Amino acid sequence: MRLCLAVLCASAVLSGQTLEQAESLWKQHSYSEANGTFRALVDAHPRNPQYRVRWGRLLLERFNKPDAMQLFQEALKIDANNAGAYMGMALVAAEGFENQAVEFAHKALAADPHLLEAQELLARLALEDNDTAKAIEEADRAIAMSPSAVQAKAIRATIDWLNDEADTKWDPHVAEGYETAGRIFVLNRRYEEGIQFYRKAIELEPDLWSARAELGVNLMRLGEEGEARTQLEMCYGAGYKDAATVNSLRLMDSYKNFITYKTQTTILRLHKKEAELLHPYFETEMQRALATYEKKYGFKLDHPVQVEVYPDHEDFAVRTLGIPGLGALGVTFGYVVAMDSPSGRKPGTFHWGSTLWHELSHVYVLTMTHHRVPRWFTEGLAVHEETAVSPEWGDRLDPHVIAAIKDKKLLPVAELDRGFVRPTYPTQVVVSYFQAGKICDYINREWGWPKLLAMIHDFATSESTPDVITKELGLKPEEFDKRFLAALDAETKKTVDGFDEWRTLLKKVAEEAKAGEHDQVIHDATAIRDIYPDYVEAGNAYQFLADAWLAKGDKKAAIAELERYTKVGGRSPDTLKQLAALLEESGNKKEAATVLDRLNYIAPVDEELHRRLGDLWLADGNTAGAIREYRAVLAKAPTDPAASHFDLAKAYRTAQRPEDAKEELLLALEAAPGFRPAQKMLLELTK
Amino acid sequence: MGERTVLLLLVCALSLHATTFYVTVSGLGGEPDYEQRFGMWAKDIDKTLKASPDSKVETLVDGTRAQVREALERVAKEAKPQDAVVVMLIGHGTFDGYDYKINLAGPDLSASELAGMLDHVPATRQLVVNMTSASGGSIEFLRRPGRVVITATKTGSEKNATVFARYWVEALRDAAADTDKNEVISALEAYRYADKKTAAYYESQNRLATEHAVLEDTGKGEPVRAPSPENGEGLLAATFPLIRLGAAAAAAKDPAKLQLLAKKDDLEQQIDKLKYEKAAIPPEEYKKQLAALLLELARTQEELDK
Repeated sequence: MRLCLAVLCASAVLSGQTLEQAESLWKQHSYSEANGTFRALVDAHPRNPQYRVRWGRLLLERFNKPDAMQLFQEALKIDANNAGAYMGMALVAAEGFENQAVEFAHKALAADPHLLEAQELLARLALEDNDTAKAIEEADRAIAMSPSAVQAKAIRATIDWLNDEADTKWDPHVAEGYETAGRIFVLNRRYEEGIQFYRKAIELEPDLWSARAELGVNLMRLGEEGEARTQLEMCYGAGYKDAATVNSLRLMDSYKNFITYKTQTTILRLHKKEAELLHPYFETEMQRALATYEKKYGFKLDHPVQVEVYPDHEDFAVRTLGIPGLGALGVTFGYVVAMDSPSGRKPGTFHWGSTLWHELSHVYVLTMTHHRVPRWFTEGLAVHEETAVSPEWGDRLDPHVIAAIKDKKLLPVAELDRGFVRPTYPTQVVVSYFQAGKICDYINREWGWPKLLAMIHDFATSESTPDVITKELGLKPEEFDKRFLAALDAETKKTVDGFDEWRTLLKKVAEEAKAGEHDQVIHDATAIRDIYPDYVEAGNAYQFLADAWLAKGDKKAAIAELERYTKVGGRSPDTLKQLAALLEESGNKKEAATVLDRLNYIAPVDEELHRRLGDLWLADGNTAGAIREYRAVLAKAPTDPAASHFDLAKAYRTAQRPEDAKEELLLALEAAPGFRPAQKMLLELTK
Repeated sequence: MGERTVLLLLVCALSLHATTFYVTVSGLGGEPDYEQRFGMWAKDIDKTLKASPDSKVETLVDGTRAQVREALERVAKEAKPQDAVVVMLIGHGTFDGYDYKINLAGPDLSASELAGMLDHVPATRQLVVNMTSASGGSIEFLRRPGRVVITATKTGSEKNATVFARYWVEALRDAAADTDKNEVISALEAYRYADKKTAAYYESQNRLATEHAVLEDTGKGEPVRAPSPENGEGLLAATFPLIRLGAAAAAAKDPAKLQLLAKKDDLEQQIDKLKYEKAAIPPEEYKKQLAALLLELARTQEELDK
């Protein structure tokens, strides 16, 4: 008995010392040693959930979310009511902007009603969801638990600061509190103010690396690359190597591979390997969009807009790290836009023109509202602008949205921001983009553009969505929702109601096409096309119909079908090229060129496209267009350089630019000295 | 470069009186899609080549090892040293670390067996275009002085099905492959065309390329992705006329134009020399000299065409 007691005492002392040691090493930033000590502790005491929880918290702090989550889950298996484990899981979910964060925090509080950290997290999560009333309520509960609760006070202070009340009694005067404020401001796209809070945080606590790293990342987002690099390198040097810091530094290193083009109103950064090809297209489109928006929004930007185009999606993705609900193709930070390059995406899956106009709309709306616009409105307006440029642009009604409409999952307008920030189902962000876009379309249709413009100005003064809806549209938000949903229902009813039938029939059509039953394909595919006209992805009805008509020798009907496909926004390069070829064969060269020109917005990295379009435009007398296209051919080291220079020479000659034509002829002949047509033209121009 | 021109002229002159023997083999597809694709490419090559003068074409769709052997034995009997032989392989290949094999109906054909068959062909100029998966594994068996070896993959470990053959077929009938516009598509031009299009295919699909074509034509060197004077590869391939697009060199038969032809040859050599020295000449001076030579060449050609 005595021996047993002695062993128990020794074990307790040993474990007590070891846990203390692990915590102490952690505090001293000796992370590796702390990790080893926790491992030993868990090995020695596999049934102790607390060791796993603390170890998990260390891993979470050191950027290893998956292992941290696993430890929290293991702790819960040992103790199903462990508050620390639920708290850890809530923090992991909160970092990933997952909806479960709230649930886990509540479970932590249920397990330990005095767990201040969980209560403070609930306040922060509510504010991240833009639910100010709830955030106040939760923060006040935390303050009741502990009057010096830093994070709760920071939440209360941030609410005041967001409302432009600089003097607040809640100012926490603590670095971590300012860091939280910085986070919330950035989530509200108020980057410059967010940066100021991060600065205050590191002023008070210079080695608060998480705040310094965020400062660096956000400086980079705003194009302040010099200081961003300095801050991030400091973090890296101090061993703070989270994904955002490392990837941002790596991205800035890669800028040496980019070329920057500047005009009075634009800064365009393109990767060297495609800069020459893409520059004319992007520059023209930027200028066109800026001129359109300046007039439409009645607002002049006071300095150039910077657009960065990344051929590697991973580079672009670095820009969106830590910010939920942003488009997967482009992102706007004030005057800086980062987006995917068309070369970084499978041809046909990305309309860069649409993305560019979308992002540039954000530049105006964010600037005009001093970044105070709710997310649903700026996204909705940007989506609206995509189809305002051209009805063929923008995204179509997709099956996820149809399912959401059918299941009545659309959110009330007053809560729509939640669909972007903390989605409750996997496709909710996509559905929210669609819904927000449709709301702006609806307002534009029913009340006119001036109302949308007035709403922008209202949001600039921090008015809430319900207030703005009521003020500008004369309706309570609930009434607006009712009317909007009725209009959307009328618009989509045929597709939503017929979706299951469409799916069944589509399979049937595919089988009929395989069996060569062309008449049957024409009959069934026409029906499904009209049930769900927006479906233009692989295996769409338009393609089945066009193939069937061609098989029956009716080229005209095939052309008509493919023209329908392009009008509803079909983007497959092969299909568009097929239509262009059919039009050309039928003598409609101008229309063929128009179809191919659409591809310049979808898949411009295509030598054949530019050559064919150049030929068509040259034949049609559009020499400026032909010159641009032939130059595009040459920009990507063509298979046949001599012929490509010769094509450009022909275009220059037609454009009465003989000297430029001669230059190109010499280049053609340098590649192929015996190239007879080029020799002949050179002699003609030299006479 | 001048040396290359002289060699090209010699080869062209030789080839005016020479015959090119083409043997194209498509192997087993394993599944209907590949079966159909391989057969179609072989048939397309057959059709294109049969339209070309001075060529003897044999195409074995779903060929067997015995059929390949017989075909090459026939070539060995007929061909003379000044003739050329071109063997093109399409299908799936394997490499086990020791030898390469193309999958054929019945017993497969190994690279060493194919090399043995080709060694019996007296034609001194030979081209093997192995477009199968893992074809890089066949190079060490096939390379020999006087033989150009092109493979769709750089090693035997690139095992995925290839698309190089698709673009090789295209090269044979696309005038754009004739980059020097001499109306003859050389083995090097076809290689560059197919390689570029293959790379573009993977790029356009946003897929990681699983094949990297290579060429070896010294008989002793390492195969390279980009043949150039710097790495010493491509000289023989550049002078190997794979297919003729027009009636090149018809003017050579008119004695009245011999002086003009000599002048033309001289100008072409001067242009080649100037291009070779480009890096050492100030840009403006280079441009001036090049323009003068090209203009003179154009005038000479105009006289020749009268």
